[in-house]
Amino acid sequence: MTYPTNPITSMELILPNELGYELIARDAVAAFAWRLGVPIDRIDDLKTALCEACINAIEHGNSLKPDLHVEILCRVEDECLVIEVCDEGVRPFAPKAEPLSIVEKLAGMGSLRGMGLMLISQLCDESGFVSRDDVGNCFRLAFQRHRAASLGCSSNPGSHVSV
Amino acid sequence: MDKHDDTSREPVEKIIELRLPSKLGYERVAMDTASSLARRMGFHDDRVESLKTAVSEAVTNAIEHGNQQDSAMKVVVLLTARDDELIISVADQGRKILDQDDTTSSPHIADVLEKFDKGGWGIWLIRELMDEVEFTTAPSGGNQVRMVIHLEQ
Amino acid sequence: MMLEDELTVSTRDREGVAIVDLVGDVTTFAEEKINSAYREVTNKGTRFVLLNFRQNDYINSAGIAILIGIVTEVNRNGQKLAVSGLSQHFQKIFRMVGLAQYAEIYQNEDEAISGFKRNTLRVS
Repeated sequence: MTYPTNPITSMELILPNELGYELIARDAVAAFAWRLGVPIDRIDDLKTALCEACINAIEHGNSLKPDLHVEILCRVEDECLVIEVCDEGVRPFAPKAEPLSIVEKLAGMGSLRGMGLMLISQLCDESGFVSRDDVGNCFRLAFQRHRAASLGCSSNPGSHVSV
Repeated sequence: MDKHDDTSREPVEKIIELRLPSKLGYERVAMDTASSLARRMGFHDDRVESLKTAVSEAVTNAIEHGNQQDSAMKVVVLLTARDDELIISVADQGRKILDQDDTTSSPHIADVLEKFDKGGWGIWLIRELMDEVEFTTAPSGGNQVRMVIHLEQ
Repeated sequence: MMLEDELTVSTRDREGVAIVDLVGDVTTFAEEKINSAYREVTNKGTRFVLLNFRQNDYINSAGIAILIGIVTEVNRNGQKLAVSGLSQHFQKIFRMVGLAQYAEIYQNEDEAISGFKRNTLRVS
């Protein structure tokens, strides 16, 4: 794995594919974000978003298979903390053309599942699936390190599916 | 990765792997990860605090000594959760190999007060706080410390 | 990188005791701040120094080494040193290391001030 910017400030975390371990990931990544100066309220957003992304990876990408793993890569890109949550792709993510609104979901149109992705997109400065060479889904979350201007986080090159 | 489809057979242990930059301050990430896992395993608060101190000392040693603060080098922390214990292994990339004598030292404050270097407490603290401690060479060739803390029922 | 320096050190006087408040992490990055606060109160001629912690959740062996350095100076300068506000865990660590032989450990600032007063009475 190569990192486009600042290889030094990066961290990797590999978790067993079991519900509950997203909470360990949450605490690890929150501590990492704190060291990078991410404001505390943004860390709260990050915690919720990361847990949702991990649960998606565990339940969907890895289909709850206990011998699989979820890999979380954290790094600094420009002024952003970028987190990638990668599974082993038992089930590939199939993007929907148009995500359903909560009204539509409550009306029984489609599963309630997609709520996680909707929540994530509200909480992050940027989020979406990215393509990876290896097999598996990789979901990217980005947070600005400092509560600065309205500059967004630089997009990862390659295909990028917004949610 | 093996492809067992037998989901009924739970493995007896779960492993979390954490790779950190060799930069002082990042030991905090290992401390918080270990304490998060230990709390969820049911360790009491005082044991969690002891674990945090031991992890902090082990990772700080790996950063400062083993990897000589070369922040491009990684510190690898493996947390193995079993029913009755938590095993934490901390490995560096071995830019400097730890002297075996340093792994068994037992400083005394009265002597330390006289010396310019007031340090040397880290490994001693790890031994005092953890139930089992073993210094070995990591598969990568670096220094490795394996610490075990038992879960009292 | 940010936050290598998460300790805030300040000094104040209470009833003739120089209180050094330590809020945050006591690690290798704390050295300059703690030493300069100690020098500051010592230059004012204080005989009683209280290191007042705030249930700090991260003190490591590098931080302990800094505090042992303060003990050396306190002994050299004929001062009295006490600590307060340590969490149960770090009270234990301070006892294990032997710091408790050189600095009285109090639960909080008020107890420490009363302790200093009792000791002063005994001395004079």
